[in-house]
Amino acid sequence: MNPRTRTLVLLLGLVALATSCGQSSNISQQANRGINARMGSMPDANNPLHTIVLPHDEPVFPPGAGRDEFVTACVVCHSPRYITMQPRFPRATWLSEVKKMQNTYGAHISDEQAVKIADYLFSINGKASSGKAPKGTYGE
Amino acid sequence: MPEIGTFDMNRRGFLQLIGATGAAALMASCNRVSAGLESLSTPENLARFPEKTELILLTDRPPQLETAIHYFRQDLTSNEAFFVRWHLEGIPTSVDLRTFRLNVTGHVRQPLQLSVDDLRSQFEPISIVAVNQCSGNSRSRFEPRVPGGQWNDGACGNAKWTGVSMKSILDRAQVKAGAVDVSFNGLDVPPLPSIADFVKALSIDHARDGEVMVAYAMNDQPLPMVNGFPLRLVVPGWYGTYWVKALSDITVLPQPFSNFWTDKAYRIPNTPNGTESPKDLDKDTIPINRFNVRSIFVRPDPNEILHPGIPTEIEGVAFDSGYGIRRVEVSSDGGTSWADARLDPDIGKYSWRRWRTSWTPGSRGQYRLMARATNAVGETQSKEQWNRSGFMWNVIQQVDVKVE
Repeated sequence: MNPRTRTLVLLLGLVALATSCGQSSNISQQANRGINARMGSMPDANNPLHTIVLPHDEPVFPPGAGRDEFVTACVVCHSPRYITMQPRFPRATWLSEVKKMQNTYGAHISDEQAVKIADYLFSINGKASSGKAPKGTYGE
Repeated sequence: MPEIGTFDMNRRGFLQLIGATGAAALMASCNRVSAGLESLSTPENLARFPEKTELILLTDRPPQLETAIHYFRQDLTSNEAFFVRWHLEGIPTSVDLRTFRLNVTGHVRQPLQLSVDDLRSQFEPISIVAVNQCSGNSRSRFEPRVPGGQWNDGACGNAKWTGVSMKSILDRAQVKAGAVDVSFNGLDVPPLPSIADFVKALSIDHARDGEVMVAYAMNDQPLPMVNGFPLRLVVPGWYGTYWVKALSDITVLPQPFSNFWTDKAYRIPNTPNGTESPKDLDKDTIPINRFNVRSIFVRPDPNEILHPGIPTEIEGVAFDSGYGIRRVEVSSDGGTSWADARLDPDIGKYSWRRWRTSWTPGSRGQYRLMARATNAVGETQSKEQWNRSGFMWNVIQQVDVKVE
């Protein structure tokens, strides 16, 4: 690789980094926009068929190792907002949550994928462990 | 391409720069990513679902929506503002009342298939004003923080429920001798076959107490779909996990009910106030059941600015599992001294009860107001509490206000 090419590659890398940062700030923009659902009418006593249309507006997650596994295995059953509403948790707590999904709820996740997903969740919403991390429980 | 030329000329310095600050810049950008994620859970993040007003968005699929505290200035929480909490992604979005039936089966002599119209026309209607509260209401107040729906204090509401007593339905079905439990299933379905369907149960005696009811109206209107249209189980004084939405199946059982949502989920330490130590989790757990006594500040708003020498109306609500709120005390000095608040008229033993007092701040500064409710059997709010699931919060309520 000649020096000019290397510089180009570096620059492209920086642009990619900047783009990813831009994407991350879009997350909050998207969140702040809120959900603009169609307002269904109240149930009408004269109309026996009552139907609503649920809004679907989920946050875009930042790129990173494990993101594909997360999107594939987790988002099929629930919104990524299950992650975004949590406070920062130690890695052990995130791994416990992923293991709960795998072992208790039967999410289609291999052990290897579980670790990748936990690492990804920790990278975007983690904090250093201070003492014993609370493990996930059920029905919460 | 002069820019590249410029960079090329300074390539060595540029690379050094990247070496020195690149990691820091990368870290900073990662922090911003996380900050962006955290901002999603701020109260400004509102969502409007069908038949609902703007509510605080916890999750959109399945929906978990929290009521802003200012709605609690009214004794009855409007249907539009009432909190929403589902477990499974497959929530009902369409109900045809021509084909919908409430099925009553199991350990009965006369299985029933009841339309909503049957319930309205063939049974004596009853009404009850009752608080419904999520087991995890105020979970975000637990320290250390626990995973789960990160509710503030708005996963509750007070409504007038109208419908049919479970007793009258079970009587018509002619429950056989030896019945133990009654289970309740709704129209919601799990997204994977490996996930247990959300079914809850009550003892036969509880189900037949004349107060547990099947509600077809909430504040004299049909229920919003996301609050359980067309029928919802109402279990006065008990946590919301039992208030099965879109109720479609009632099964009388000659043996104790057992499933994931009772055996593994929604359990509390078998200790006073459901509290345990994060360092030593209790092995003895029981299903969550009746409400802890608790209070909520309605006024002032958190971080509202008050003024010295000017009387300020302090207001809140308090409720328990049905014994009735008898006393609410308020402190403005961190709990050293307490003054009784006035109680509004009692509007039902399962309703919340409004309390009010007037407070005149003496001087400028930051104040922490505290409220402590006590019920008719002497149950009161705790000084501290923690459990692994973040259930049954009832620590003495606090709100921080600034006086300027």
